[in-house]
Amino acid sequence: MTEKVSRSSGRRELDELIQTCISIENRRFNPFLLDISEALSIIRRHSNKLRTLEDHLLDMRAITSVARVVGLQSADLRFQSSALYVDPSMVKEKLDSLSREQLAEFLLLSWHPIVELEQLTLASTKEAKEFWEKMLSFFERRKRLHLGPFVMPETTDLGELARMRVVEERAYTRKMQDLWRDLKERAGEDQRVDYWDFIGGSDFAQTVVRAQLVSFLVSYGYANLLRKGNNMFLVPKAKPDPHIEGSPLSFPIPITKEVLVRAK
Amino acid sequence: MLFFKRGRIPGARSWELKTGLGKGYTKVLEQLDENLKDLDLEVKKVEPQTLSDFKPGPDDREEESRYFVRLKGTLAPKEARLCGWRIDNLAALAASLALVVSKQGRSERKELETVIGNKAGRWRALTLMDTFLRSGYLEEDEEGLIKLGWRTRAELDLPSLMTLLAESKAPSVESSEPVDDDQASMEG
Repeated sequence: MTEKVSRSSGRRELDELIQTCISIENRRFNPFLLDISEALSIIRRHSNKLRTLEDHLLDMRAITSVARVVGLQSADLRFQSSALYVDPSMVKEKLDSLSREQLAEFLLLSWHPIVELEQLTLASTKEAKEFWEKMLSFFERRKRLHLGPFVMPETTDLGELARMRVVEERAYTRKMQDLWRDLKERAGEDQRVDYWDFIGGSDFAQTVVRAQLVSFLVSYGYANLLRKGNNMFLVPKAKPDPHIEGSPLSFPIPITKEVLVRAK
Repeated sequence: MLFFKRGRIPGARSWELKTGLGKGYTKVLEQLDENLKDLDLEVKKVEPQTLSDFKPGPDDREEESRYFVRLKGTLAPKEARLCGWRIDNLAALAASLALVVSKQGRSERKELETVIGNKAGRWRALTLMDTFLRSGYLEEDEEGLIKLGWRTRAELDLPSLMTLLAESKAPSVESSEPVDDDQASMEG
């Protein structure tokens, strides 16, 4: 009876030891939290009570777990002596106290992005062609999904689609022309309008929509974008005149709430 | 071979370059590196054992090294924004890398998400973790722990990042305003 109790308590101790080692391996605790000599004495204490195969396996698992922790302790010492070593708790504290801007700046100062250009190659085109040719038909693939009987598509009209907000009621070109007219009216005698004043809408979403339309006005030659110092002006043209004046380069303009507040 | 992405990972392996350029490929790469200096670019070699923790046999180690072309200098915040990076994404990446490095290259995903969540918001932390894993800055091992990915080894000067972090001082006024989701240049 006493032997049984002592064997079960021994198993429990070994189990706990293995669990502690697993937690250390999963980086939940510092590897030095485990006293190796104490761990070994636990294993040694129960070594003469091993009877079944299960007991021996448990003992083996305990020994390998302790060995892995010793390995982690060794790695930890090597790491502490390397240039990369900063205490994890200190790193956490720093990360909490630093602003996003500071952290981003640190990354940028240590960052050398890879140059990678995407392109179609003969091999990838062949692969795509083979994939397309081998692909089962839509109905075959649908069968596998068990979606039930197939409902044939029905026709709809533009009014219905506009109500569903799938398409816009007014065509995009029409919207652009309305905005162009608005721009010409607001430009008046000065022949120009401040960019931020012009794109400003009733809310942020409206402002972004106007900015996008303006970008097309400029790209399609309905207007020019002029930069003078920190200011940008839109100059409407009497007739659309694409790609003759100015730079052919894209000019991204980030729209942030701060910029809009400043413009107001 | 080095500039155009042909598979999931950009760059080219040693054996590919050897096949294409011959045995003296390292000399060609040295010359290329010299020529790229004018464009502020450089050829970077990443050893296989630092690409991931997977350790191939000692004989094929050199063959498995990968070469990349990367920026020699660094980007200004404005340039990074034009490349589609938000400030809070950069901050989240810096925080995740610093934490993983401080934990000797492996950390629990939950812990990383909490740290990123403090900087970028809880929901954003989940998507950012996926983005970093997908783009190769981080990798998940078979035990579910997060480690540094191949892209971090190729692009980041980790000693510099850790030194900057260790030497840093917190700003006098904490700027912990909520994250703006409305900047125009967005990615990942």
